[in-house]
Amino acid sequence: MSEPERGDVLIAACGPAALRVTGISGDRERDWRVVHHLTRSLSAGPPPGYIGAIPAYESVLIEFDLLATSLDHMAGAVAELLRGIDADAPLVTDPRHLCVPVLYGEEYASDLEAVAEFTGLDASDVVRLHGEPRYTVRCLGAPGGSPMLDGPAFPVPVPRLSSPRASVPIGAVSVAGRQATITPTQAPGGWYVIGRTPLRVLDLAEEPPVPYRPGDTVSFHAIGRTEFDHLDGDRLRPREVPA
Amino acid sequence: MTGAITVHSAGFAVVTDLGRLRGPSLGLPANGALDQYSACVGNILVANQEQAPIIEVTAFDFRFATDTDLLIAVTGAPMTVLIDGIEHEMWQPIAVRAGQTVALEEMTAGLRAYIAVHGSFEVPLLLGSCAPDPGVGFGTVLEAGSTVALARAIEPIATPYFDMSLFNLGVLVPHIGGTATIDVTDGPDADQFAGTADRLFRAPFTVTARSNHIGLRLTGELPIRRSTEEIVSRGVPVGAVEVPPGDELLVLHRGRGVTAGYPVLAVATPLALDDLGQVRPGQQVRFRRSTVEQAAQNSRRWRSALDHLRSRIAAVYSCLGLERLLHPGVAVPPAPAGPLAAEGTT
Repeated sequence: MSEPERGDVLIAACGPAALRVTGISGDRERDWRVVHHLTRSLSAGPPPGYIGAIPAYESVLIEFDLLATSLDHMAGAVAELLRGIDADAPLVTDPRHLCVPVLYGEEYASDLEAVAEFTGLDASDVVRLHGEPRYTVRCLGAPGGSPMLDGPAFPVPVPRLSSPRASVPIGAVSVAGRQATITPTQAPGGWYVIGRTPLRVLDLAEEPPVPYRPGDTVSFHAIGRTEFDHLDGDRLRPREVPA
Repeated sequence: MTGAITVHSAGFAVVTDLGRLRGPSLGLPANGALDQYSACVGNILVANQEQAPIIEVTAFDFRFATDTDLLIAVTGAPMTVLIDGIEHEMWQPIAVRAGQTVALEEMTAGLRAYIAVHGSFEVPLLLGSCAPDPGVGFGTVLEAGSTVALARAIEPIATPYFDMSLFNLGVLVPHIGGTATIDVTDGPDADQFAGTADRLFRAPFTVTARSNHIGLRLTGELPIRRSTEEIVSRGVPVGAVEVPPGDELLVLHRGRGVTAGYPVLAVATPLALDDLGQVRPGQQVRFRRSTVEQAAQNSRRWRSALDHLRSRIAAVYSCLGLERLLHPGVAVPPAPAGPLAAEGTT
């Protein structure tokens, strides 16, 4: 067990009713584990006034009721909880794996070309690099509990769109910076869309409404139009047997 | 049979509540009433729990009929409230008889009015909240012909006193309209706007028509972000002031995506967010630098005004022989109507 060092974590006010706790150890994996373990400690034993937490890649936003507690009290409670965390412990001991079929390009061929241009690659290399890794779900993000992933091994980060789209369709598979994701809902978007999955990610009748947790894994593979149409609307589910 | 209301005409109206507190940790925004104070006052006036489902009427006229007796209150943006054509006060409880029609007309300022109904509504919940989330296609949107069942039947309220100004409930009615002053505290990334961060406070900004429940977009002299480095996505609070690419300032509201990759310049206080829930496109907003301590103090004052109102309401309803309204046993979230109605007599 190794606790996070005092200097490895930055606790800052993010407005009057939230704290942003950021891992700054320089080890991204460790920072990610720390903020997610902290989130679990908070929900297992919520300090007075705690409302909820939004853990991300290397930071967690902790929201609280400013009538029931104060920034200082909440920061103190967080510091105390950090002391009980094992920064080396894996986030999940039984990660589930999700295989995501993607129809690359098509109506978003121009985005795929733009990503190729930025990275100095061919569109086919972009697809190959995107399909290579077994990604870890870093956190659930916007919109709709999107699985936030580390980006593919592109030579340079991909910028965000200079003018975000008003609407990106359900199942958009996109990249920005050194990140990648799938969009579970139709929503505005500022990322380059390189393809679409026919599988339905979000199910409001389920809790949680998405079939993955931080720490689960995702991989992408290319499919054609026929297979897309065949799978259209099926639910995305973890593989029965962990691979 | 608990009775129901039937919408006759609606521009944009929904059934909402104070928001989905369990949403953000699962990637879903809180959403809920954009003017939380007005929503809370509405529910308190009709002796509901503050988080009970309530109708939010945005901008346009709204009219509904009821097949059961109701106790309602209308709060928020100023509108003319008509019961079968007779004008009634906002920010007061109003007894409505079965068969009557309630109309809200001509919003003269602000953007959102609230209709609270004693006993509240039976509506679907997602993670414990009925707040619409258009992003995931959830919510109760009201259109002409929509019917919404009440969560609980109430006995007729036969009192003439609601129509007389016998009781001064002392509701603190917010000023809505004109240039809004929006208190913000410094954001954690203000240093990324070094040298230009103060532009936020120098001159007013103008609200644009691209504003909605996700965020307000404003034009003005924008602070300039010094760093162009890509920020990895992280959680952002409701109220975050950001400068995304383009020519608008963005202030996130309750429908905001929970993660984003822009630096947070400042954060609007909870009370300022209520004011932002009432500003219209074209209206001006002046930002004012505040502190965490001041924000907490203002919120405490807000809370105390609501608590006092609740105790005055309890006193008034007791005087009128309407104690039964104060102990409705309405569970939130509402359970099926039958058992609830039975519990209501305890």
